[in-house]
Amino acid sequence: MTVASETAETQSASSMAITARSVELTYADGTRAMSGIDLDIPKGEFFGFLGPNGAGKTTAIKTFVTLLQPTAGSVIVNGFDVVHEARAVRSSIGYMPQETSVDEELTARENVQFACETYGVPRRERAERIDDLLYLVDLADVADKRPRGFSGGMKKRLDVATALVHEPPLVFLDEPTTGLDPRARLRLWEYFREINQQGTTVFLTTQYLEEADELCDRLSVIQDGTVVATDSPDTLKAQVGGDVLDITLEAPDAERRAHAQRVACESGLFEDGAIEATDEGIAIASGHARQHGTDLLVALRDEGVPVTGFDIRSPTLDDVFLAITGAPANEKTVEKDHLVDTVQTEVGR
Amino acid sequence: MSTTETERTVERPTAGNGFSVDVWITLKRWLRKTVRNSAVVFETLITPVIFLLLFTQVFGQIAGGPIRELYGANVTYVTFLTPAIVILSAMGVGIHSGMGWLGDMESGMFEKILVSPTHRGAMFLGKSLADVIQIVVETGVVLVIGYTILWLDSGGSVSTFIQTGIGGMLGVFAIVIVFSLWFTAYSNVVALVTKDVTSTAIWVYLVQYPLLFASSAFVPVNDLPKWMQIVATVNPVTYGVDAVRALMLGQNVLAVIDVTAFSSIWNTIVPAVVVLGVCDLVLGGMAVVLLGRVASSRVG
Repeated sequence: MTVASETAETQSASSMAITARSVELTYADGTRAMSGIDLDIPKGEFFGFLGPNGAGKTTAIKTFVTLLQPTAGSVIVNGFDVVHEARAVRSSIGYMPQETSVDEELTARENVQFACETYGVPRRERAERIDDLLYLVDLADVADKRPRGFSGGMKKRLDVATALVHEPPLVFLDEPTTGLDPRARLRLWEYFREINQQGTTVFLTTQYLEEADELCDRLSVIQDGTVVATDSPDTLKAQVGGDVLDITLEAPDAERRAHAQRVACESGLFEDGAIEATDEGIAIASGHARQHGTDLLVALRDEGVPVTGFDIRSPTLDDVFLAITGAPANEKTVEKDHLVDTVQTEVGR
Repeated sequence: MSTTETERTVERPTAGNGFSVDVWITLKRWLRKTVRNSAVVFETLITPVIFLLLFTQVFGQIAGGPIRELYGANVTYVTFLTPAIVILSAMGVGIHSGMGWLGDMESGMFEKILVSPTHRGAMFLGKSLADVIQIVVETGVVLVIGYTILWLDSGGSVSTFIQTGIGGMLGVFAIVIVFSLWFTAYSNVVALVTKDVTSTAIWVYLVQYPLLFASSAFVPVNDLPKWMQIVATVNPVTYGVDAVRALMLGQNVLAVIDVTAFSSIWNTIVPAVVVLGVCDLVLGGMAVVLLGRVASSRVG
């Protein structure tokens, strides 16, 4: 571990925004939220943590921003240790938590101003900085209103502005677009891209594969507190191999989907691939998807499984997730709520 | 998409302020929130005024006689009651102190500030100072209203309202601050333990009103039933009210214990400050420990 952290320091001093070595975090109740996470995120990168609810994304981000202390391992952020140099880490990062955090008793401008004061933005620069940021996030026209009446998207944008007042070289965004409508999401994506293009390193967590695909230079797929794969979205997609055959079933209840899976499996057509149940029916990722697709349709018909549609396409990150973790990315696990509760209790304690 | 301008991100000066600046920023935010929050302004300012008006108008006639008999001809019920209302309003501020943390945790501001370079101690000190300022303002308002009622009723002079002069008036503010610390701390402790606004309100009001009534606040303690006198003896509200009252009436009013070691009003003020100081230390200590734990990043 000593060796690892020394390496970490040397690297981060030169080019790394975040270096994590064997990071573990176990809550007081025994819940293991992170086990052995290693990361090297170079400065300037747009990096993502992709995983379902409860995978440990929020725990990881809270550890990187000094809200939680790792139970083992080391994390160096902007060259500072998150445990021993927490204040230096805090000064050098911006953080946008999952839950929107704005003070509803202060106006939009006052919220940004409070952040400026908190981060010690010099007085002579404040007025201009506040105007610039409110303009960047399209809130200039409501600057003197209190956020009480703002939409979810507007509050999020205000939150983004407050996280950027000190022009941090590294910004953490914890599921920044969860719960937003598509238009608001697209707008936020633009801001994130813009700050990244201006040189800011961005660390993002998301459960939206589309979001990771759209924004990230590289991403880690995270599940059960461990990183299961790290690469560029394109490379990860290439790992799936072949194409994906989506089959839509009529009235796709669990029994019918299981039946279809069984048929596909017993047909022996896709021995190289993965056959999974989806919301509408089943999906098969295989090098032979194009070649044997029609054969499968015939087999399904012979077995009396009613097919209403099919589609052969290139793999998406959804399929990546499926191929790597063996579980659909949008699966809501029971542990999720438990974990979030624990995080809040622990942070709030 | 991002490799071209990475040079821009190299070492920048560290953001953040000195401790006292952090205290000032925190203080400003809480004062601004307090002024903006009409519910708080109403409850902590209007309630004491209504109490002062209703009590003096309803009970003034009945209580006036016995009060004069006990404390002298120039002491009216409103002069007797004002110290109680001063303490009541201080308790009102205390209640909202704990709620303030809950509001910040609910809105995410608490965590946001924890992630900023704000000094932890400054977070707490700044908020406490905002509470103290609010208490000072409200005490001033209650004193002004109290005197106005006295003047309308009997045309009494300011020197009959606060018989110990300017020094005594400053003393009233000092006592109220010393008194408010333990109750504010109690409200903080309850808020941090229950983490719920409704539970906090229940636990705080459940204590506030019984303590107010089972004390020397509204009637002389010797007119209370025996069991209530016992409660009043171990009730910090009695000591807070009596210390303020001693300063206003210019006499030793502490009836629950008999102290004769000092001269005149000091026989009330010294024991009161000792009792309140102990309460402050115990509950204040608990609040500091709990706040420290909330702000800590340790999980195990």
